[in-house]
Amino acid sequence: MTTEQVAKMSEAELLRAEREIAARHLNRFPILAVIWAFTNLAVWLALWPLVFSGVVPLWLGFIIATLNLALSYLPSHEAQHDIIGKPGSKWRWLNQLVGHTSTIPLVLPYRVAKLTHMEHHKHANDPMLDPDHSSSASGSLQAIWKSIANRQPRAKGGLNAYGGALARIGRPDVVLDGVLYNLVFYGVLFGLAWSGHAFEAALLWWLPRHIALTYIQYYLSWAPHHPAKETGRYKDTRGFRAILGNIGSMGMQYHVVHHLYPRIPLYRTPRAYWEMKPILEARGVRIDDL
Amino acid sequence: MVHAIKAIFYFGPLIFAAGFIWPLATQTIEASGWVPPFDISPLWAGALFASILGIPAQIKGRWI
Repeated sequence: MTTEQVAKMSEAELLRAEREIAARHLNRFPILAVIWAFTNLAVWLALWPLVFSGVVPLWLGFIIATLNLALSYLPSHEAQHDIIGKPGSKWRWLNQLVGHTSTIPLVLPYRVAKLTHMEHHKHANDPMLDPDHSSSASGSLQAIWKSIANRQPRAKGGLNAYGGALARIGRPDVVLDGVLYNLVFYGVLFGLAWSGHAFEAALLWWLPRHIALTYIQYYLSWAPHHPAKETGRYKDTRGFRAILGNIGSMGMQYHVVHHLYPRIPLYRTPRAYWEMKPILEARGVRIDDL
Repeated sequence: MVHAIKAIFYFGPLIFAAGFIWPLATQTIEASGWVPPFDISPLWAGALFASILGIPAQIKGRWI
């Protein structure tokens, strides 16, 4: 489909063409995301005995743990959108297993992630209703700073905003998941630190988690929605070219496709984007150098 | 129960300083071989360091 062909299309024809492209990429089983979820978690868990026994030096463990933590969100994100298994399907158990287990290192409970993420999709860029709107910032460095600032004890944004979002949608009970995760996380950190393993606790979990959260919030929340001023189906997300490329940005260059069709698996969004690009341009989607 | 949990999170910076920064600072001093002045042991030097970070964080509600 060319730009010239798209220019002659009516509103209804544009929508039909867009949906036909999306249909080609929907209902695909993301086997890579499933393997990714369990491999990533297994590697991170294996690091602990390997570092404690001296097989892996702590500096190397720190690098691997940071990669593990950064990679731990996206498989859960596929599960949040029921991409691995819809409710009632034969793969539903796997969907839920991936969702619940992959973000354990991030100390992010699946139900908290899923419910707040659905709110993000419903209200993307709405300053009052989008739980991720606090990541908006005027530039790259400001976005990194904002992510760190939002993680301060009495900050109102970032993960601290999720409690309010859950209360607003009538699910304050899910806040308890976050409380339990945090109590276990800090309990483990404190136990390790006071038993003489503070460096291991800091470099295999605490610091990698902070680096990963900054990276994830930068590429998954700030970059695809920047400048986060407009709302609406074709206005709230952009295509962009990341300095780190598509893999380095965890596939977020094509995040606009995800917001239009959230059940297209991550690995299919680049292909869907290139097929849809003339339509997206006709719709006025912001596409920065992509 | 809710009040207890809220209190734990309210005093989060102090609890984090005592639970994590204190032993981390102590073990950093020991590993570096640095000898704190005035005959302070690494354990109490770690406590001092944790207090210097933790008390302002508790008052201001932010570490940085």
